Amino acid sequence: MELKTFRGGIHPPYNKEATAGKATEDISLPAEVIIPMQQHVGAPNQPLVRAGDRVEAGQKIGSTDAFISAPVHSSVTGTVKAVEDRKNFAGATVSCVVISVDPNQPVKFTEKRDVSGLSVEEIKNIAKEAGLVGLGGAAFPCSVKLSPPADKPIDTVIINGCECEPFLTCDHRLMLERPDDLIAGLKLMMKAVGASRGIIGVEANKMDAVEALTRKVANEQGIEIVVLEVKYPEGAEKMLIDAITGRRVPPGKLPSEVGVLVQNVQTAVALYDAASTGKPVIERVVTVTGPGVKTPRNVKVKVGTPISHVIEQCGGMVGNTGKVIMGGPMTGFAQKDLSASCQKGTSGILILTDEAVDNAAEEQCVGCGKCLDVCAMFLQPNAIVKFTKRGQWDKAEKMGAKDCFECGCCSYVCPASIQHVAYVRKSKAELAAAAKK
Amino acid sequence: MAERELTYSASPHIKSPEKIPSAMRDVAIALIPVVLVALWFFRLYAVVNIAACVLAAIGSEYVMRKIMKRKPSIGDFSAIVTGVLVALLLPPTVPFWYAMIGTIIAVALVKELMGGLGYNIFNPALFGFVSLLIISRFWALANASYSLGSLNGVTSATPLTFIKAGVLNGIRPGYWSLFLAHAGGAMGEVSVIAVLLGGAYLLYKGHITWHIPTAIIVTVVVLSAILGQNPLYMMLAGGVMLGSFFMATDWVTSPDNKMAQLLYGAVIGVLIVVIRLYAAPTGAVAYSILIGNALVPVFNWAVVRKRFGEVKAVPVKETAD
Repeated sequence: MELKTFRGGIHPPYNKEATAGKATEDISLPAEVIIPMQQHVGAPNQPLVRAGDRVEAGQKIGSTDAFISAPVHSSVTGTVKAVEDRKNFAGATVSCVVISVDPNQPVKFTEKRDVSGLSVEEIKNIAKEAGLVGLGGAAFPCSVKLSPPADKPIDTVIINGCECEPFLTCDHRLMLERPDDLIAGLKLMMKAVGASRGIIGVEANKMDAVEALTRKVANEQGIEIVVLEVKYPEGAEKMLIDAITGRRVPPGKLPSEVGVLVQNVQTAVALYDAASTGKPVIERVVTVTGPGVKTPRNVKVKVGTPISHVIEQCGGMVGNTGKVIMGGPMTGFAQKDLSASCQKGTSGILILTDEAVDNAAEEQCVGCGKCLDVCAMFLQPNAIVKFTKRGQWDKAEKMGAKDCFECGCCSYVCPASIQHVAYVRKSKAELAAAAKK
Repeated sequence: MAERELTYSASPHIKSPEKIPSAMRDVAIALIPVVLVALWFFRLYAVVNIAACVLAAIGSEYVMRKIMKRKPSIGDFSAIVTGVLVALLLPPTVPFWYAMIGTIIAVALVKELMGGLGYNIFNPALFGFVSLLIISRFWALANASYSLGSLNGVTSATPLTFIKAGVLNGIRPGYWSLFLAHAGGAMGEVSVIAVLLGGAYLLYKGHITWHIPTAIIVTVVVLSAILGQNPLYMMLAGGVMLGSFFMATDWVTSPDNKMAQLLYGAVIGVLIVVIRLYAAPTGAVAYSILIGNALVPVFNWAVVRKRFGEVKAVPVKETAD
């Protein structure tokens, strides 16, 4: 069978064996959780609680009136210890609510209600109130995506089950463990945007998930499972839409331009959870893996749990720890220490030993052109680097700096060890600053 | 959990193990069949010239980097590759010290003086070779008698002379002998199949793609047919194959985008035929590729990559009413 795919991309070692076969498990609660007021793309929330306040699991503790935003809820029952600035996983300073966790947590969100009668507006409101964001890592507010411009009708909802990032398996597990809830979430999304077609795209290295889902959708109208080639970044929004529908989102435009809505597997499940039980986004499945962790696992983590606690729950670190990465190895963020907390968009904690870290120094570009060949956006990464080094931001933009979604394929293949992504970010920051003036 | 200093750097956090030294090492490996053929046919001549050029390359690179205060880069294999290529571009009977001069020009001037690997505009080995061609017009060293033993069955005339002379009788070597092995001319141009073996290895390893070699070879074949020449002979004789797979594909001195590569290959192909027919057959491939090198900025400028999802702006139709 010819598998669907996009042009460009790379085939890194996937390293998913350590956790792909391991069922999602609960871990013990930490002594305190640190919940950032901004865990999404958009406007930050204002804290609704103060030090000393009692909070319950699921209680809204941060919100804003801005349209592009998502409220934040307490993931535990406990007492607010402080509202203060902390560094988040990306190194940015964010206002955080620190909560000491009660030893006894009441059992909540277990009663399920029927969701078939929900109206379009009700579904959108549920997504908004639950603080639902894209849980694949980008963390774009779901409610915004569910309200596309009126002149851009959506006919297809795609659930991204590619999980093309090496090492990560949390989406894979969710597809195996909660296929019914995933499909129910997809149906809610289709209803919200009025799409007649629903597609779950899965890479061919997860055939067990493909089989499980195919059985479940046998009697569903308009829902199909599409198997995709195992290639990074198959799960990038624009690549996935191209691979499945053949439609190409123009530069600078959103998927709604071509009538498509893309959401991650966990986002669909979380929407169903919010609709059926009223549970906001307060926990998620995280893959803790890599050669530097004792027991790689897929674990259910409360939003705000410090990384150090999650790693302890996986047996701690082994060997000479080189890098701790929040997210996957291609797009994740390296940590300076273990103080940051897991948030809505945290898909994985990857621990690399010294031996697994490539610290090769940057050399002069030798013009091999490999970065052009792998660029899924058909940009000229080496030229962006050249112009960024010279401070010629306008030329960097012409080479496509703003179109780059930082998948990292260029840096992966570069024989001169050039960190293209870092240069692109520099150019983007300069261009954004210039645009503000 | 002991607190250790964590490595902090931008994504991606995993990299392909393929680096410049490993790629250059692969180019050296790809040259093995050609080198073996040269050793088989030219024995001591080949041993001495290849060894002399490699030593000259490594030595001049080391000295230049010392003078220019750069860290030594013998580990990247690029000097070794250049040395071997210069030796292969020359006939076996060229005195070793003459070959060394070409190598020193290649490495010290064309590469290191320009700033080192990545900064050079011209393919170092080809530039070194062409420098020798020019020098030899004034300084007839190539003919200096010099003997390292007899060369069995080696014809002195390069098959290229037959192109210009237009001799199409039995004296000219046949296609099969050109393809398998025909000693004449440069050491690296004895056997087309040896070049193709190395080229196949480079393609397999992903260091080169089909675009440049195909564009050159197809253009040479088509254009020589149009001009009433024997296309097969044109393709097999001389350095078209060696140049297409090993020199025109040089990362640094070729365009980096595929459309520009096709254009670059086609232009080199046209130049090869034209120079061979209307100027000098010896060195035609080398001159053509060097001119191609010089035009790389033009190709990169002329061929703009169309971005993902980009559509040509359709002019809005103005209606009468």
